[in-house]
Amino acid sequence: MECDKCDRDAVHHAAYSGAHLCGHHLCESVERRVRRRIRQDDLLPDDATPENPQRWVIGLSGGKDSVVLTQILAETFDADPRVELVALSIHEGIEGYRDESLAACNELTAELDVTHETVSYAEEFDVRMDEVVEDDPENMAPCAYCGVFRRDLLEAYAAAYDADKLLTGHNLDDEAQTALMNFFEGDLHQMATHYDASLGPFPDRTPTDRFVPRAKPLRDVPEKEVALYAHLRDLPAHITECPHASEAYRGEIRDLLLSMEEDHPGTRHSIMAGYEELAALAAEKYRDEATHDGDLSPCVECGSTTARDVCRKCSLLESIRAA
Amino acid sequence: MNVTCDVVGGETETVSVAEDATYADLCRAVGFSPHEVTVLVDGRPVAEDGTVTEERVELLRLVKGGGRAGATGRAR
Repeated sequence: MECDKCDRDAVHHAAYSGAHLCGHHLCESVERRVRRRIRQDDLLPDDATPENPQRWVIGLSGGKDSVVLTQILAETFDADPRVELVALSIHEGIEGYRDESLAACNELTAELDVTHETVSYAEEFDVRMDEVVEDDPENMAPCAYCGVFRRDLLEAYAAAYDADKLLTGHNLDDEAQTALMNFFEGDLHQMATHYDASLGPFPDRTPTDRFVPRAKPLRDVPEKEVALYAHLRDLPAHITECPHASEAYRGEIRDLLLSMEEDHPGTRHSIMAGYEELAALAAEKYRDEATHDGDLSPCVECGSTTARDVCRKCSLLESIRAA
Repeated sequence: MNVTCDVVGGETETVSVAEDATYADLCRAVGFSPHEVTVLVDGRPVAEDGTVTEERVELLRLVKGGGRAGATGRAR
């Protein structure tokens, strides 16, 4: 099977587009989609200058997605003084697993000469996920604790570094899964939040000082193509499942989506096209109540914005400490 | 035809597929979606819709089910 663009052997067939691509042209196509998304979402505003650059914090876990994102951003903006990149890694206290992926992060950022910071649940919260899983005081899946802590630290450190944007490596499969979960739960408020937090082009979002705006430049690229990119370019990505992984519902959605994609190629793309439009409409309808919600106030423990007296992170920390 | 598949970092399995089977069919025969693995022939990935000609291949898992960092919880 030959590449559509040259006479090399194809390494991939994208059934949704019919394209056969060799390694070189697959990598080029992935990079092109990431750069197009950066332009379409207007990540780099006109007022960014070498004197007043944009600072982008990248959530770098060491998994294939964030490694590919960091690699492409570093290569794209290497010679552009309007953009400063800072990679931020988080050690959740998962022995072995996270140590290995942090080694991948260190190797990558040293090669790319990107500033790299690592923070840990142990130092920040005196918490280690290996122990949280043992005690499980809230009777929840490990990811439910870990996600709250991770988002809190990404947010807090992105703000502390005075970041203009927080970028994460969510790919097309991740986003289509989230879209379907919101559909199946009938949660239009969540769609509105999703749009304003990370999905909409920057000029279309409501500006907020409540959190650092996020973006997902890989969200047009299917997960397999991100992984093939990492493999073909031999990037130091760590591809091992977290030993505590337990997202049963997301797993069900993922399997459903992959079987739909096999029978109806292009399903993930069309879900996202419709979802983005719907999420934009939901954001228009609901964003006023979300942003002008008088119930939001600083957490009495840590000061972060919350709809309750004590934020979710602080109440989880309290029950972990009491266990 | 019989094809021996070495799952990288996992087990080796020999499966029987039709003469005109594609590499995607081979992935399914071993129990994977073609969206989560790639077939390596002599260490190089091959297109999913190519006809299987090799009697021994490697299967590289590219995507781990669930729990990926950054994809946990509800993405916002």
